[in-house]
Amino acid sequence: MTDTAILAPSRLAVVRGHLRGNPLLLVGGIVATAIVLIALLAPLLAPYPADAVSATHPLSVLLPPSMSHWFGTDQVGRDILSRVLYGARVSPLIAVFVILISCVIGIPLGLAAGYFGGVIDEVIMRVTDVFLAFPALLLALAFAAVLPPSLTSTTLAIAIAWWPWYTRLLRGQAASVAGRPYVESCRTLGISRRRIIFRHILPNAITPLIVEISLDVGGVILTAAALSFLGLGAQDPTPDWGLMVSEGQSYFMTQWWLVTFPGLAILITALAFNLLGDGLRDVLDPKRVVKLL
Amino acid sequence: MEDVMIARYRGFLAIGLLIAAGVAVAVLLAGCGGSSAGPVSTTFTYDTYTNVMVGWDPSTENSNSIIALANVYDTLTKYNDETKEVEPLLATSWTTSPDALTWTFQLRPNVYFHTGRLMTAKAVKAAIERTIRLNQGAAYIWAAVKSIDTPSQDTVVFHLKYPGPLSIVASAGYGAYIFDTKASGSESLAKWFEAAHDAGTGPYTVQTWNSGQETELVLTSFPKYWGGWSGAHYKRIVFRVVKQDTTAAQLVGSGQVDFVQRISPALFASLKTNPQLQTLSVPQLMNLIAPLNCKSGPLADLTMRKAIAYAIDYKGIIAASKGAASPSIGIVPPGLWGHSDTLPTYSYDTAKAAQLLNSVGYGPGKKAMNLTLTYTQGDSSEQLVTSIMKSNLAKLNVNLRVQPLAWPTQWAKAQSTNLSDRQDIFMMYWWPDYADPYAWLGGLLATEKTPYWNLSYFSNPQFDEMAGRLEGVAATDMPQAIDLCRQMQIIAYEQMPVMVLYNVTGQFVALKSVGNLHVNPAYAYVVFVYDLEPLPS
Amino acid sequence: MTRYIARRIVLAIGVVAGVVILTFLIARIVPGDPAVSWAGPHAPPSQFAQVRRELGLDRPMVVQIIKYFEGVLTGHWGTSIHTHQPVLSDLSNAAPASLELVLAALLFAIAVGVPMGLISAARPGRLVDHTIRVGSIFGVSMPIFWMALIFQLLFFQKLHLLPVTGRYDPNVAFAHPLHAYTGMAVIDSLLSGNWPMLESSLSHLVLPALVVAAYPAGVIARMVRATVLDTLGETHVQMVRALGFSERTVFARFAMKLAWSPVAAVIALVFAYSLVNTFLVESIFNWPGLGSYAAASIGSLDTPAITGVTLLIALVYVFANLIVDVVQAILDPRIRLG
Repeated sequence: MTDTAILAPSRLAVVRGHLRGNPLLLVGGIVATAIVLIALLAPLLAPYPADAVSATHPLSVLLPPSMSHWFGTDQVGRDILSRVLYGARVSPLIAVFVILISCVIGIPLGLAAGYFGGVIDEVIMRVTDVFLAFPALLLALAFAAVLPPSLTSTTLAIAIAWWPWYTRLLRGQAASVAGRPYVESCRTLGISRRRIIFRHILPNAITPLIVEISLDVGGVILTAAALSFLGLGAQDPTPDWGLMVSEGQSYFMTQWWLVTFPGLAILITALAFNLLGDGLRDVLDPKRVVKLL
Repeated sequence: MEDVMIARYRGFLAIGLLIAAGVAVAVLLAGCGGSSAGPVSTTFTYDTYTNVMVGWDPSTENSNSIIALANVYDTLTKYNDETKEVEPLLATSWTTSPDALTWTFQLRPNVYFHTGRLMTAKAVKAAIERTIRLNQGAAYIWAAVKSIDTPSQDTVVFHLKYPGPLSIVASAGYGAYIFDTKASGSESLAKWFEAAHDAGTGPYTVQTWNSGQETELVLTSFPKYWGGWSGAHYKRIVFRVVKQDTTAAQLVGSGQVDFVQRISPALFASLKTNPQLQTLSVPQLMNLIAPLNCKSGPLADLTMRKAIAYAIDYKGIIAASKGAASPSIGIVPPGLWGHSDTLPTYSYDTAKAAQLLNSVGYGPGKKAMNLTLTYTQGDSSEQLVTSIMKSNLAKLNVNLRVQPLAWPTQWAKAQSTNLSDRQDIFMMYWWPDYADPYAWLGGLLATEKTPYWNLSYFSNPQFDEMAGRLEGVAATDMPQAIDLCRQMQIIAYEQMPVMVLYNVTGQFVALKSVGNLHVNPAYAYVVFVYDLEPLPS
Repeated sequence: MTRYIARRIVLAIGVVAGVVILTFLIARIVPGDPAVSWAGPHAPPSQFAQVRRELGLDRPMVVQIIKYFEGVLTGHWGTSIHTHQPVLSDLSNAAPASLELVLAALLFAIAVGVPMGLISAARPGRLVDHTIRVGSIFGVSMPIFWMALIFQLLFFQKLHLLPVTGRYDPNVAFAHPLHAYTGMAVIDSLLSGNWPMLESSLSHLVLPALVVAAYPAGVIARMVRATVLDTLGETHVQMVRALGFSERTVFARFAMKLAWSPVAAVIALVFAYSLVNTFLVESIFNWPGLGSYAAASIGSLDTPAITGVTLLIALVYVFANLIVDVVQAILDPRIRLG
């Protein structure tokens, strides 16, 4: 049984063609890759790596951008450029974990709901509906507000708000495949459920899953930044961009660089991943309606 | 297709343009509207960063509400920070017996409460006795009082258990207000106060209170105020709660508020150059302190406390505070008797701190230590200090967990009956109830059965004994009192219950049209609006 | 039609029940004693016993949930720790301000988003399309709290154009007191003909509303574009083309009408999303709405208030979705039948 849809070589050529015709995807992809690279290479790129960890320099606080500090220094003298660069590790890391957790919870649930149908489907989907009845930021906020503030609680809180989307997606995929006649004949022939899931359903689901993930990264990053801004996420001295904007608020009117650069970083990162996600959707799954938060 | 499309979305474009036009009109109107203040304003707007009315009861109120209450209530005497003397207010004169056990105050005649009743000696006695009876807030300031007599309508005599500086006590910013105890009739007076009523003798009285709103409180002039209303006075006080100091800076910069209670040093520096503003830098009788938990947790060990004290970069913190902080020596700030520049202090010495930590198994290379610190959410100065502290301690393998909390929550947590719920390090500003070092030596460090202000939970019998004697000695033998103060501060140095991070220099911004502005450090953050003179703006 | 609506309502009720239960669970996961987190750190231990009884903490979980349901349905949503008022009354004080902000933002968003989406759909693949697409993705990627700060800096500090704090000028409010019909300053001043207050509240509304409008404008533009393009490719539209109608007629008569339905669907979503987004900007603009209340509650570890806000907005969201579903069904027969 080899009916699985494989990404045939010709499909890649189609993708390349799309890339040429879709400059947004290209731009998004390049910037997103750059951000990932920055995150990985931050210790090498940052001029003052200690400032991103625990160092403070009380004698050189609030310095404007200059040759020695391209982005200036913050209220305790830390180099903002270094902290922005290290911040590229924090936000995408949250995004990675959130999506990982969402997949770990959402995919099995969605598969079960879609494949088995019936009561299991109803129960799982009703629970999913309840979680989806809350706007994501609100649910994440509510959880984060009752837990002690930290990077971990933010990640968990956002994951709690995010997993339903994956359940829904996988359920749709599983249900559409499970209903097909050839799957029924597979069962009659005695092929195990597990094999059907892994060899037939999942491969079909990968493409929309990739699209979903790429569309989600931007949203998770914004949500995480929002929670940090409210004081519910990473705590000082973690170089979290949202936290940096929040701390810089009091100084903003006179020392604009404290807020501008971290905020720009959030914007550019979310923009890049959203462009990437949009472009991927155009290429891989154009029928899919715009996903909203 | 194009014509139809243009025709179709022309409709939407039209709507969009209409809305945009509406916005533009609103913007222009707003720009042209300008401030509604006339040439000489009669309204004084006080911009505060946190809720004004925490408590309404003049007997028990012990926090931010005094910025309003000080304009509504009078005390018997008032402390003049320039002459460092106590001046008449509701009392016109006073005498004391040589042993300072009897104090006789002569009251000002024809003073009326806002309730309409005349202030008599009996009324004064009733108010002070009620404050003593309720025994909350700053009631301890009357602890020396044994009984009060009212030999005539305008004479009040205090008989003390032990000698005390009653004229200064009577000038206190907390717990010394004179009010009409009959204001609520047969109803509970406490409930009457909490329902946003006032029964004071001061120049202003409560007009409206919108709890939780930006314009939280409006006070209006009391026509029968004993000081009269001749000359130029503000007739109305508006208290506006603006949580972000950047917003406060914008408001004062554009003339929408008259005075800003707290502002970050950076913003203060930027507003100095504004020709419409006046800026005041006033050393306050206030310091930023960090009580260390002497009762439970890792800091119950004296060596740990000493190590922490050596670990902090005091000079760095002061440098980063850009003018809002000055170095502190001892616990009593300058400007009060008992302050001494020759007391021993801890300095920033990482090596020594490491050595002390190592001696108890912690520090670099050994076990990591976790401490929690709580500070008041929204205070950017405290946030800055905790950032630096955290980084200082990280070098010594001490992990400081910093938790910003709303003040009532922070305070309640420190008073928690569950010891493990309490913080290891508290952070707050400390200023006196009346201009006297007892507030630090007694108020902050005397043993408390249930914690109220002694948030280091320090309990030292020798220290308690000295604190009990302090006020009595101060009333009769000042040089000995100063020496006693010194000894107590040395004990505080040796036992390290409270770290003093710096002395506060108040940075206030106000409009130039606020004439005669003076901020009295003995009444923290209070502006006595009656004393101001509104000038043409 | 009625059967569809009835089905949707039953489903919505089910979801509401689930929402209440989930909110209950959120409040219970607070580390430590739930009675303490409900009564607040300042409460004396004697009050804990009372709170424990009220919440039924000694009873089995099911009983607790039932008690919680009872409370929610009868309007007893607990007492806020930091205001000492019933949570529900706090919420009803704060809600109109947020509502006003969100409605104004949505107005801006529709006014900008719909035309942009249409223009983009009319010329797909061209420069104008790409520009608008990037613009709308921009709007969707914008960290709204940062945008608020930048706008403040620009429009207030540098240009001195717009006021930056509060809903209206307190001096104007004192001189021309506003009668509160709805709690929304702009509507109230319109209703009572209070022109100075109208001007003051409008000018204070502009900046926050513009900031909150960024995200929904982006979403609406993308949605309109996608749906119009989709509709243009659909079979029944193809058929009309095949029948010989010109492209312009096709666009005018089919695409546009059916494009409204998904926009209506999006409105509910962005309404709820924007309502939560206002949390991030209310403290910056000193706007006394649900967001400021939530922020104050977070700082005070005020569990009843946080729970109350969460529950309220979730209920609003469910309700809004229900209305939109019904409206959609009316507009688009395919949904009813499908």
